[in-house]
Amino acid sequence: MRLAKFVARLACAASPLLPIPNAAAESEAIDLAWKTRWVGEAHSLRHDSAFADGLPLTAFGRDRARLEQEARGRVGPVSLLATGTVSGQEGSRPSRKLLVNEAYIDSGSGENRISAGKKILSGDVGYGFRPIDVIQRETRLRVLPPALEGVPNLSLERFTAETAYSIVIANPGHGREGDPRDDGALALRYYRRAGGTDLHGVARFSDRFRVETGGALSAVPHESLELHASFLLLRRGERRVPLAEPASPSDLLTPDRAVETQTLRSAEKALAGFTWTVQNGWSVLGEAWWDGTAPTAADWHRLASQAKQRTALLGAPGVPNTAVPGSIAASTRLFQQPGVSRRNLLGRIAWTDPAGSGWTASLDAVRTLEDGGWVATAAAGWQGNRWRLDAGLRRYGGRPDSAYRLFPERGIAFLGASLAF
Amino acid sequence: MFEFRRPLRRWIFFATAVLLAAPAHAADVKTLLKEADAFRLSGESVRVDTEVRVLKSGTLDKTRLYAVYVKPGRRSLVVFRSPSERGQKLLMLGDDFWLVLPSSQRPLRITPLQKLLGDASTGDVANLTWAEDYDGRVEGEATIDGVACLKLDILGQRKGVTYPRIVLYLAKSDRSPVHAELYVASEKLAKEAVFKFGTIDGRKLVTAMVLRDHLQRERVTEVHYLSRRPKTLPDHYYNPAFLVRADIEH
Repeated sequence: MRLAKFVARLACAASPLLPIPNAAAESEAIDLAWKTRWVGEAHSLRHDSAFADGLPLTAFGRDRARLEQEARGRVGPVSLLATGTVSGQEGSRPSRKLLVNEAYIDSGSGENRISAGKKILSGDVGYGFRPIDVIQRETRLRVLPPALEGVPNLSLERFTAETAYSIVIANPGHGREGDPRDDGALALRYYRRAGGTDLHGVARFSDRFRVETGGALSAVPHESLELHASFLLLRRGERRVPLAEPASPSDLLTPDRAVETQTLRSAEKALAGFTWTVQNGWSVLGEAWWDGTAPTAADWHRLASQAKQRTALLGAPGVPNTAVPGSIAASTRLFQQPGVSRRNLLGRIAWTDPAGSGWTASLDAVRTLEDGGWVATAAAGWQGNRWRLDAGLRRYGGRPDSAYRLFPERGIAFLGASLAF
Repeated sequence: MFEFRRPLRRWIFFATAVLLAAPAHAADVKTLLKEADAFRLSGESVRVDTEVRVLKSGTLDKTRLYAVYVKPGRRSLVVFRSPSERGQKLLMLGDDFWLVLPSSQRPLRITPLQKLLGDASTGDVANLTWAEDYDGRVEGEATIDGVACLKLDILGQRKGVTYPRIVLYLAKSDRSPVHAELYVASEKLAKEAVFKFGTIDGRKLVTAMVLRDHLQRERVTEVHYLSRRPKTLPDHYYNPAFLVRADIEH
């Protein structure tokens, strides 16, 4: 609410200074679209997992359903996206959350523009991985994800017919926060349309990572084929790793030390991919990427080994009953990061009914090359006039010590239904 | 000598006639297409508010609303206005296409074939001219629903066109489009279009295009042009990076 007040004040203050352009925005004062979505999930836990003793203390496998209300549109000069969510988890009372995902003003005139408020600032050209999405830092490949939450920012932008430059002050007033996405940062973004190729450039400056610089391109050399590539260089990186070896029983049972953050002197991320579309509605997407900040195969092996060592301490003299599950649960934080492996391959086959019935289907699989793990997702959807239905299955597997095989869930079945007004 | 010269003279005359006739014929088709386009677009830079109604077996299945900003140079910006598509935008610059989805808020480069997929082919909504994209020849004359027509067989000159081949029937009297047979790349007849007219500001203009699907016979798509207003968006509005700004919303 404080943010909404801030934006409202900003709108009042900015309006006389920066006339709201009326070129394409010929709207009434309030223009909102409403969407209701219900999402149901059924998770299958791995009860034989090395982490089984800690799972009751985690959120793994407990999401059951959520009901989302979404309002999207404009209130005067303010662009708004707000969501209200009621979530149900096994073993707990439903929780309620109201969130202003976006509340911002885009203003300016001619080629010079300004944007202020909380806004989704996604970037990059990839599907499964986005190295230069350094401001929004969107988690990819989630099933039926909730609406993204924007980043508080002040942006100065300049557009010509073929180029765009922007200076983004992200999370103004923030320093180094718990999540890199919330860190105060200054970013420069560049876009150029060079013939049939899109070129993107980005540089982000923050206390945590110092300088991140990267670029991306996307081109359509043939009516069926799209090619894309992206890379990012980090002057300083971070990655989460399991407790360092050798570890004493005391170290193993300290939850805060179960997963540690390792600072890297530098790191790289890169992606290359393509989309091939054919006329009968089928498309194939392939991507390969490197994430220098993700855990290695040795990290996952060590995490599994330490979970077994912790389990072996159950009932040992002097070990409190809660210490072992607590430390195992804490160690599963390693799964909660955007990338679980450094070398990855993604294949996706998708179909959209070319006759326009609204039916879609897809099958995608990510293979982690370092440890031989995989995750596969099959999904189908139907878009009607106002209704949308989605359903699918996700399954994790691979070699015993691979990240996806160690993942505490075997799979998820999901179902979504939304109604737009 | 005389025997040799006479056939030569005839040959030169014939060759010259063919050489002159070919471009003249092509120019005629371009002129005809431009005249036909004038019944669909009221000006060079316009905003066209469009409603698409999809009927299945005669029953209304879906309704979609679009605001289409057209500018010379084969530039079209489609803003999706229906509740279920709110926040989507499609930009067409010549043969290049970008899509913005509300879930991601970034311009996504798509192929011409991806553009054709979806509820209603956005190509049917965004492409409002033929003269810039097609060329061909006059095949002859025909009578369609009692209207004497010129029959044109036109081929797409660019990879991004929705239909690579169109057989187009224009009224002989005023060159208004009467009927069209729309072919996809596999040379299959995909749809047939019938044009409805009204008088707007004293001008005869296309008010609706009814597309009968040949691949799904029970399906009919009606494209209604609700309003046309002169609107010249600055060039930078057609920059893909500009699409995520709220300046383009409605």
